[in-house]
Amino acid sequence: MKVTFPHMGNLWICLDAMLQYLGIETVVPPPSSKKTLNLGSKHSPEFACMPLKLNLGNFMEASERGADTIVMAGGCGPCRFGYYAQVEHIILEDLGYKYSLVVMEPPEKHISELLSRIRYITGNKPWMEVIRGIKFGYRKARAVDRLEMAAMRKRPLEKRAGQTDTALTEALSIIAGSAYGKLDDAIARASEIMDQIPVDRKPVLKIGLVGEIYTLLEPFANLDIERKLGRLGVEVDRSIYLSEWVNDHLFMGLIKGLRSSSLYIKSSAPYMRHFVGGHGQETLGAAVYYNKKGYDGIIQVLPFTCMPEIVAQSILPGFSRDTGMPVMTLIVDEQTGESGYLTRLEAFVDLLAEKGARKEELA
Amino acid sequence: MIGFIGLDVGSVSTNIVFLDDEGKVRESVYLRTNGRPIPAVQKGLRQISRLVPLRTVIRGVGATGSGRHLAGIIAGADVIKNEITSHATASSRLVPGVRTVLEIGGQDSKIIVLRDGIVADFAMNTVCAAGTGSFLDQQAARLNVKIEDFGGLSLKASSPVRIAGRCAVFAESDMIHKQQMGYDLPDILAGLCEALVRNYLNNVGKGKDISGPVVFQGGVAANLGMRSAFERALNKEIIVPPNYDVMGAVGAAMLARDYVSRGAPTGFKGFGAAETDFHAGSFECDGCPNCCEVVELSENGAVIARWGDRCGKWSNNVSREKIS
Amino acid sequence: MTIKIGIPRSLLFYNFIPFWKTFFEGIGAEVVTSGRTNKAILQDGLRLSVDEACLPVKVAFGHVEHLKDRADYIFIPRLVSVFPREYICPKFLGFPDMVRQNVRGLPGVIDTSINMYRRERDLYGQFFEIGSRICGNPFKIALAIKKAGEEMKRFTARVESGLRPDRAYGPGSPEETPDRRKNATVAVLGHPYNIYDSFINISLLKRLEDAGINVLTTDNVPEKEVNYYVSSLNKKLFWTLGRRMVGAAYHFLESPGISGIIHVASFACGPDSMTGELIERRARRTGDKPYLSLTLDEHTGEAGIVTRIEAFLDMVGMNRQSARC
Repeated sequence: MKVTFPHMGNLWICLDAMLQYLGIETVVPPPSSKKTLNLGSKHSPEFACMPLKLNLGNFMEASERGADTIVMAGGCGPCRFGYYAQVEHIILEDLGYKYSLVVMEPPEKHISELLSRIRYITGNKPWMEVIRGIKFGYRKARAVDRLEMAAMRKRPLEKRAGQTDTALTEALSIIAGSAYGKLDDAIARASEIMDQIPVDRKPVLKIGLVGEIYTLLEPFANLDIERKLGRLGVEVDRSIYLSEWVNDHLFMGLIKGLRSSSLYIKSSAPYMRHFVGGHGQETLGAAVYYNKKGYDGIIQVLPFTCMPEIVAQSILPGFSRDTGMPVMTLIVDEQTGESGYLTRLEAFVDLLAEKGARKEELA
Repeated sequence: MIGFIGLDVGSVSTNIVFLDDEGKVRESVYLRTNGRPIPAVQKGLRQISRLVPLRTVIRGVGATGSGRHLAGIIAGADVIKNEITSHATASSRLVPGVRTVLEIGGQDSKIIVLRDGIVADFAMNTVCAAGTGSFLDQQAARLNVKIEDFGGLSLKASSPVRIAGRCAVFAESDMIHKQQMGYDLPDILAGLCEALVRNYLNNVGKGKDISGPVVFQGGVAANLGMRSAFERALNKEIIVPPNYDVMGAVGAAMLARDYVSRGAPTGFKGFGAAETDFHAGSFECDGCPNCCEVVELSENGAVIARWGDRCGKWSNNVSREKIS
Repeated sequence: MTIKIGIPRSLLFYNFIPFWKTFFEGIGAEVVTSGRTNKAILQDGLRLSVDEACLPVKVAFGHVEHLKDRADYIFIPRLVSVFPREYICPKFLGFPDMVRQNVRGLPGVIDTSINMYRRERDLYGQFFEIGSRICGNPFKIALAIKKAGEEMKRFTARVESGLRPDRAYGPGSPEETPDRRKNATVAVLGHPYNIYDSFINISLLKRLEDAGINVLTTDNVPEKEVNYYVSSLNKKLFWTLGRRMVGAAYHFLESPGISGIIHVASFACGPDSMTGELIERRARRTGDKPYLSLTLDEHTGEAGIVTRIEAFLDMVGMNRQSARC
């Protein structure tokens, strides 16, 4: 059995660690690229959202490297993600790929369904070992998040362009390559690398990224929005991080005390009174949260045709009117052009800078 | 005298303007880019150099448009700015108090909402050519109407025909359908203007607070039919400023003027840049499966800029892009 | 004075109007509905909604806009779930919020959640709550809910016997079930708000009937039949409309009396991108019935629809002929 899984930013670091610890052979798909997207789009339904297309591309590319089993998360709606695995599997079948599919999701009838799926992957490993493996993966996810946060803070301040990204790549590879038992040491080394990036002191604009989880976490899907904004002198925060998603979707929310979606859901109350699937309600809540935290602007990112985010998109202008907080929505799919995207980002940053300057003049 | 130059390099056209010390537009040059921005910029610089008065000192240069980075490097621009900010700057200074800018160019369109002279909101077209000037160009060609006559003819319409279509191709088939049904030419032309205005307002202008004064600029603003279709749709007076077709370049020049007024010397390479041997080449990076098409610009054989790589491996090796 | 309840003729109107109308009339309210979709309604809908929304949602905005001045309350329930363990599309869940943010000058809004996710009988409490806003007599409300339920049952039975929902209820004499022996029968799959709104689908059903075709739709397939077919899926579908559509499609694909299938979807419809894929792949694997996929949006032109239908009917005709010899 050679297990593969879809990419979503640095999710692979966490999953790979978990599976390898349990002695399972893994095939990490090549990073999502134009080729992945082309492959995926060619065989996916036209109006499927971009994550599905990239997933499919990942599986096709992983198969070339010998993968024969897919592990992925699922869900029970109403967002389409809950049915991804099944549709992707049918498409792969029609294309002649021989994949077994293991979906980790809340069981329909009984918890034993989920346990037997885990057993399918882990074989006879004792449950204690399985839990230890999951913990190991999760700790890597937390480490990855901290490195990414550091990068988002440092990018606008770096003395030489690109230094942060070079450091981040190195730090991430240390975490990815770290064996069980050596992780503490690896985390220390990785954070030291990030600490050593030379920075200037200067005021920065702050933008909160909200929106659909996959497009927020996968730099290929969001056309490197964090890096682009960083270079425009903006400090970025995003409403959700890998470890939070892993906790929500793979551990069914077992770990308590993270900056969780419940905070956002509370904040979303004046605008959205009900969940709408996906992260629609969180998007509104995070916008309210960033406004309270004094951010300069908010950017919503979503894949074309994403239903929950379209609901949020319809309501964000009202939020912006009420609060005066500038909000921009960026929609991505296989048609998105890089230059128009960059122009929008630059113009938005200009708008925020001018607005900030005007506020200071008046003060 | 002293003056400023603005360059707006789009995929369809390249505009170059010369502003005097007061910021007044003195000269402008319009060229087809024809997919070759370097010769277009050089040719434009050469043409404008013949138009500016003798012994003029260029104190600053600004570049905008989708080819702004390339143009900026060739000319040694002081400011490289996106189109939204450039257009907004030009209209807010030429039409004081403007609150909405409708801009329709050959291949893209945008709306800019200004409040107290600063950009409060903006949007760019997301659907294809149906919201841009090339839509009218194509249909005019199809109907054998010169684009210059388009606007005048359409004003003679008695009742504009309704033409549907999200994209230019569908609109064309619907238009042909209407033509076969025997509608008059002016009614069809006016219908096309209304279709473009409708697509624009439902896409780019969706949800935007369009309040007056409203400025209409970009190449399409020359079309009287479009102006009147906007007036009917918005029920507001539409102002088409002089130099409506080169506002991006004007804005870029104004931004350059602001920049150097803070005491910075200009990086302008002189009109001689028109004679320098620039060469843009590209190669496919094989560092990862993204296979980025990296563009490399060299001046007299030495690489002066690279872009197009997602990871920054190539572009970081030259110099930091000037984004000010 | 009687309280006027405005019910927009959009979204799940076509599925539940018998229940809703009977209920509101049962508690002494007057029901006003928006007219059939027309150009003005569509234009208002386009203006009020985001471009990324699907056509039915845009149209629904238009109906709310056209109804808001004619009623004391507008009834736009938050349609979370109309079947246990299933949802409707996310946009239905967020529709009341989207309307509140974008439509100015709304009258009272009844946006109580209709949520049968946990169990079917939760509906009772939800309608009781709605009723209490208008009527002070709990007995009358209970009776109205009971009557509405009965009316709904009658309606469902008539629809499952082959009548079109838009004909199975409401004024006008019930039409006879068309004679299926003479002409070809074509199945039209799609969400009710797409197939019964003749403005947005440019009179698809009428065009088929004018061509002498009998039409059956998703709604004509009994629930039992639907569930039989969807039970073959690897995972239960969690959208009610999607589940019904897939079940009906699989049923029609295997029905010898069906000469062809038309699948109607809105441009960029999320659930349909998944269920449509399931249906189309199954149809391709089976491969013996003409299959037409129609995508609707506000730019859909008459010429395009007519051409497609004509070509499809030619295919149906040829298939029938070749089957005969």
